[in-house]
Amino acid sequence: MNSWIVTHLWLVPAEPFAASLAILSVSNTRRKSAAALAVAGQIIALALSVVAFVSTLQTHGFRAVQNFTWFTFGDQTLRLGFVLDPLAAAMLVMITVVGLCIFVFSVGYMAEDKNFTRFFAYLSFFSGAMLGLVIANSLLLVFIFWELVGLASYLLIGFWIERPSAAAAAKKAFITTRIGDMGFFLGVLWLYDRAGTLLFYDNGRGCLEGAGLAMLGASATFVALLIFCGAVGKSGQFPLHVWLPDAMEGPTPVSALIHAATMVAAGVFLVARVYPLFSLGAISGVTSSLTVVVWIGVTTALMAALIAIAQADIKRILAYSTVSQLGLMMVSLGVGGVAAGIMHLLAHGFFKALLFLGAGSVIHGCHGEQDIRKMGGLRRFMPVTFMTYAVGMMALSGMPFFFCGGWTKEEILHATAHWPPSHVPYYLILVGVVLTALYMTRQIIYVFFGNPRVAAERAHESPRIMTMPLIVLAFGAILLSAVLTPAWPWLHGYLTGEPTYFDVARLIQPMLFVSLALVSAGVGVGFWIYRKAGTQDGGRPAEVDPLEYAQPALFRFLANKMWIDELYARTVISFSWMAARLSDWMDRYFWDGLVRGFGAIGQLFGIFTTSVDERGINAGVDETTAGARGLGRVMSTAHSGQIQTYLGAIAIGMLALLLLYAWLA
Amino acid sequence: MSYLELLKLASPEIVIVITALVVLAIGLVTGHAKSSATISTAKPAHTVSHTSIATGICSVVAALGLAIAIGAILMLPQSTTLFGGMLVITPLTRLFKIICIALAFFTVLLITSQKPPPHLGEYLALVLFATVGLMLLVGSEELLMIFIGLELLGLSLYVMTAFDKTDVRSAEAGLKYLLFGSTSSAFTLFGISLIYGMSGTTGLAAISEKLATASVQPLLAVGIVMTLVGFAFKIAAAPFHLWAPDAYQGAPVPSAAFIASGSKVASFVVLGKIVLVGFAPMRGSADWHAMTAGWSPVLAALASLSILIGNMVALAQSNVRRLLAYSAVAHGGYTLIGLVAGGRDGFAAALFYTTIYAVTLVGAFGVVGLVRRKTGGDNFSDFSGLVSRSPLLAGCMAIFMLSLAGIPPLAGFFGKFYLFSTALHASANHGLLWLVALALFGSFISLYYYLLVLKAIFVNEPSLPAAQPFDRLTPDLVQRAAVAVLAAAVLFLGVMPDVLAARILAALP
Repeated sequence: MNSWIVTHLWLVPAEPFAASLAILSVSNTRRKSAAALAVAGQIIALALSVVAFVSTLQTHGFRAVQNFTWFTFGDQTLRLGFVLDPLAAAMLVMITVVGLCIFVFSVGYMAEDKNFTRFFAYLSFFSGAMLGLVIANSLLLVFIFWELVGLASYLLIGFWIERPSAAAAAKKAFITTRIGDMGFFLGVLWLYDRAGTLLFYDNGRGCLEGAGLAMLGASATFVALLIFCGAVGKSGQFPLHVWLPDAMEGPTPVSALIHAATMVAAGVFLVARVYPLFSLGAISGVTSSLTVVVWIGVTTALMAALIAIAQADIKRILAYSTVSQLGLMMVSLGVGGVAAGIMHLLAHGFFKALLFLGAGSVIHGCHGEQDIRKMGGLRRFMPVTFMTYAVGMMALSGMPFFFCGGWTKEEILHATAHWPPSHVPYYLILVGVVLTALYMTRQIIYVFFGNPRVAAERAHESPRIMTMPLIVLAFGAILLSAVLTPAWPWLHGYLTGEPTYFDVARLIQPMLFVSLALVSAGVGVGFWIYRKAGTQDGGRPAEVDPLEYAQPALFRFLANKMWIDELYARTVISFSWMAARLSDWMDRYFWDGLVRGFGAIGQLFGIFTTSVDERGINAGVDETTAGARGLGRVMSTAHSGQIQTYLGAIAIGMLALLLLYAWLA
Repeated sequence: MSYLELLKLASPEIVIVITALVVLAIGLVTGHAKSSATISTAKPAHTVSHTSIATGICSVVAALGLAIAIGAILMLPQSTTLFGGMLVITPLTRLFKIICIALAFFTVLLITSQKPPPHLGEYLALVLFATVGLMLLVGSEELLMIFIGLELLGLSLYVMTAFDKTDVRSAEAGLKYLLFGSTSSAFTLFGISLIYGMSGTTGLAAISEKLATASVQPLLAVGIVMTLVGFAFKIAAAPFHLWAPDAYQGAPVPSAAFIASGSKVASFVVLGKIVLVGFAPMRGSADWHAMTAGWSPVLAALASLSILIGNMVALAQSNVRRLLAYSAVAHGGYTLIGLVAGGRDGFAAALFYTTIYAVTLVGAFGVVGLVRRKTGGDNFSDFSGLVSRSPLLAGCMAIFMLSLAGIPPLAGFFGKFYLFSTALHASANHGLLWLVALALFGSFISLYYYLLVLKAIFVNEPSLPAAQPFDRLTPDLVQRAAVAVLAAAVLFLGVMPDVLAARILAALP
């Protein structure tokens, strides 16, 4: 069983890919079969993932690879492969479970869309690419799937292509991530140059194993940082985070799948996968590349949490919270808490998908309205959505005990607190924790509490096909915490390969109280500030945010996303425009002039040869100079269909070949 | 050598011959029943179901026979030689017999079950006999046996080409093919007899030994060139290609597919063996400044002429099948470059390329056949707007055309890549650069006409306003599935070329 799944690991991503191709080849009127194909592909992938996961439980630190030769060129052999280890297996299960819930949800959410089948084809394609990414055992294979994931997200963000804002967001996402990918690809090339292989694990000769790392030496820092560029782009880290909030233009299930649970996780996953490159030559767990990761992560986490406070779009708030949480994961990886970061990644996959699908349900119930200021009181109309959303909110805020996000966040705090170089990241993250609780409280008050406002008046609960995935994910988010507690840190042990044992005493730790106090503070302050949000209060009109009323300048700064987009527009983008205009001018006048010049020479030559032709040779030949097509037509007439001519041609051809032979001899 | 052992070693061929006879018998019996059924016109529905069942049985039996033959090949020993090279079994012959049978298998699948040709049993029997011809060609290292294989293949193909008796073009194409083919056969036979006269043997390895010590004589040159002419005809290299456009356009679609695929692959295998084993001492050089007499400059001349004429004339075509015929000439030229480069790598590159090409062309002809059945023609105008009628076929055709043009990540790209890079490394100072440059120029031109086909499919408005969308789940299902499988194979071999390339390289000694 074990060996079968290792050698056939490629089947996991193959299922969704096959489903995608099958959907594309059926007519776009066969909506039911398209949805059935997509869900079936996902279910099979889930079953295989579970088989893979079970097989990794046999031994601690299980790792099996299946490498094969892609192609041989001269004496160079390019090899690719798949790897099954706890990291890959955990990601496989998370992606397929969350993916399946989102697929089912989409059947309800997209029911009215005219391009229903195309949507499921893209969704399956995306799922396949992401599954391939996590099991790849070669940096090149990772890069290939990485780009496929990027392509899928481009197609899905711009799914409602008739909306100009969706088209623009798709382009922005693609181009911004490409900037990071450029660095990534340079890193791939550099690594291949140094280590001579791109395989991660290859019986001791892979680039992440002893011999390969030894060959890298000092260049590991640069390779790691270049690879990190790709991760920054994909995981929406500062300064390339700008695409992620705009990507909310896509349908909400897409936001849930791509921009919450899986695709943005790819960056964090990549750093975790090539962690030996980052930590090579570490002195007490600190290297320069990891330090960069920490500071980028801290900046991102705090900045995004601040911006999230001032957003009014339900999905944008979640988008910024995603950016913030990803920053937190990066910090965790950077300070050496790899297992903590990945655990938070897995937990985040569940509760963020839950939140996004909940937001989708809210938007569906409010007939497409996304502005939280126009909602309110929805807990009465949408009880299931409210309950599940509350679970997601608790998990995201990091409430300990029953919600998975709490335990993982606590682990991250724990890891960060003992980072040797500086305590600043730790304190900044504590601020981030408070802010997270604050903006989630604000959102939930605006959406579910108070009086129903414009959009909430005709609200209704979503159909069962949409609420069922919510319930499943909510239970998942709660049950997952069972394997995360410090009393029985099973997942931690599974990922690190250390044995785990049960010990209730470890449940009570100072960090637990710090965490509990901070989250409670965030929620409490949130309730106090926003208790009358959406209604008129003193001198404040109903549509003005309480914070905006108190601090208009600060609020405007945050609501406008710290003007980072505007800054880019003034600098990078306007520079690109200038370069483009310059190239355009060069093309039009300089190069074109050059080409015209050559053309004129050619024309002169043509005139010369024509006159020679007309006088020297007979007049009929000049037709053949009328270009390749004309020449073809003339040759074609030689193929007249007269068999006598043909047989003559054999004799002539053979004579010519004989003459050639004789002439050379 | 007991006859029992011979029976065992020739079992794949025997299986196919027996299958052919069985299919012929079934065809005769049911054909009789059919004619009696058509008399009673009162029950047309019964007639239709009856014939379709009969053709179904024939096709299933033929496909089954081919599958059993593949099984029989897998049971053969790794390498044996019978009767001094009359029948040899090596990894190479095993691999290419399987490839030839697989191509025949897909040809059988392409035969429509909706509107089968009359006398389907006979037609299938001919396909199977031609397949035996391919296997004899591939599996022999003896000139006489090779000639017999050529004739068995050729005679079957002539009849297959002329098989559509309701179409005057088919008859014309068959006659032309026959006249052209027999003339070329005469040349080949004459060439073989001259070689025999010079060397006193017909076994390839023995010829090589004799020629190594023989002085260069004009008679030998005539023998070599004449032998090559016969094969140049088979692979449709210019200027011996003139039969190809008519045959490709006029023949029934499965026949054309078979001529373009199986026949070509087997011819390249045996041509490679003849020049690289039999004529090895008379190689010469086709390097730009260092040309010396031998078969290699002759092949280089054939290759360059094929690339130029094939690509140029294809530009002016407005019929997809004629276009494929001329492009086949060009592709024959590219493949010859591998043989000119020579050596194990060159031969492997040529074989890889021709196999890829054969797979692609069977698929392309499958699409042409399906379109032709719906619209009654195969001009560009019949392909207009195919994408809205059948996205699957349009997508498959896109894969085939782009692969022929050599666009990555499709199989055709790696085929060209191996071919050209081996040719560049074949001789010191990149002596074959001129040939590679010419081939690159040719593939550059070819992109234009392949894109013309795709433009018709994807951009042009359907020219037939009444064009019905393709019915789903019609009896075409088998053909569509076959085309889709071939397209998937082309894509797969582009992504994982080593699956085939490494096998071919390993099979070569």
